[in-house]
Amino acid sequence: MGLQEKLTLLRKGFEAQAPKEVVAIMHRTTDDLEKSGILDGTVKVGDKAPDFSLKNADGQEYSLKDLLYHGPVVLSFYRGKW
Amino acid sequence: MELDALKKSAGDFEALGATFIAISPQLQTFNRELREEKKLTFEILSDPGNQVAQRYGLKFQLPKDLRAVYLKFNIDLPRYNGDDSWTLPLPTTLIIDQNGIIRHGAINADYTLRPDPEETLSSLKKIVA
Repeated sequence: MGLQEKLTLLRKGFEAQAPKEVVAIMHRTTDDLEKSGILDGTVKVGDKAPDFSLKNADGQEYSLKDLLYHGPVVLSFYRGKW
Repeated sequence: MELDALKKSAGDFEALGATFIAISPQLQTFNRELREEKKLTFEILSDPGNQVAQRYGLKFQLPKDLRAVYLKFNIDLPRYNGDDSWTLPLPTTLIIDQNGIIRHGAINADYTLRPDPEETLSSLKKIVA
């Protein structure tokens, strides 16, 4: 099973036991986000990736420019451990 | 679960000569916890206030009623992120080539979905071929 299928199963399980009003809030948030046009304003294939310099878990700085020196970069935006 | 899948794929990305990097708005200390708990082999960079996510057009704010739901489930975003903006990045995976050009993008407006690492891997194979 792929990641997306696992997540969809998890969500179905959650939605089956969560209070109705909670599920409604979550669905409305997704709908509103889709309608907000946020996807029109994201970076696109063919764009130059904006450079950044951020700290890793030890406080060491990593810049996109330096990372690209070694090869292509797969970049994933991740919400957090919770 | 998402990180377990990415941990598995990170090795495949690296075998193709790419570097896998995650960016999260959470404070450095939570990234350190995560790295130890999951024994991660890739770096997670901390993006305070989602400033980099904003430059990539990925930052969004959670509505007030959803914040209350999160708090009820003990997800105290201001504590994790170190600010009270209640903002997150859209779940996104990008492949950036060595010239700094984005060659593949999987961006979900549905924040409950995640880009599929298998799909990223097959795109990367084409890009480095």
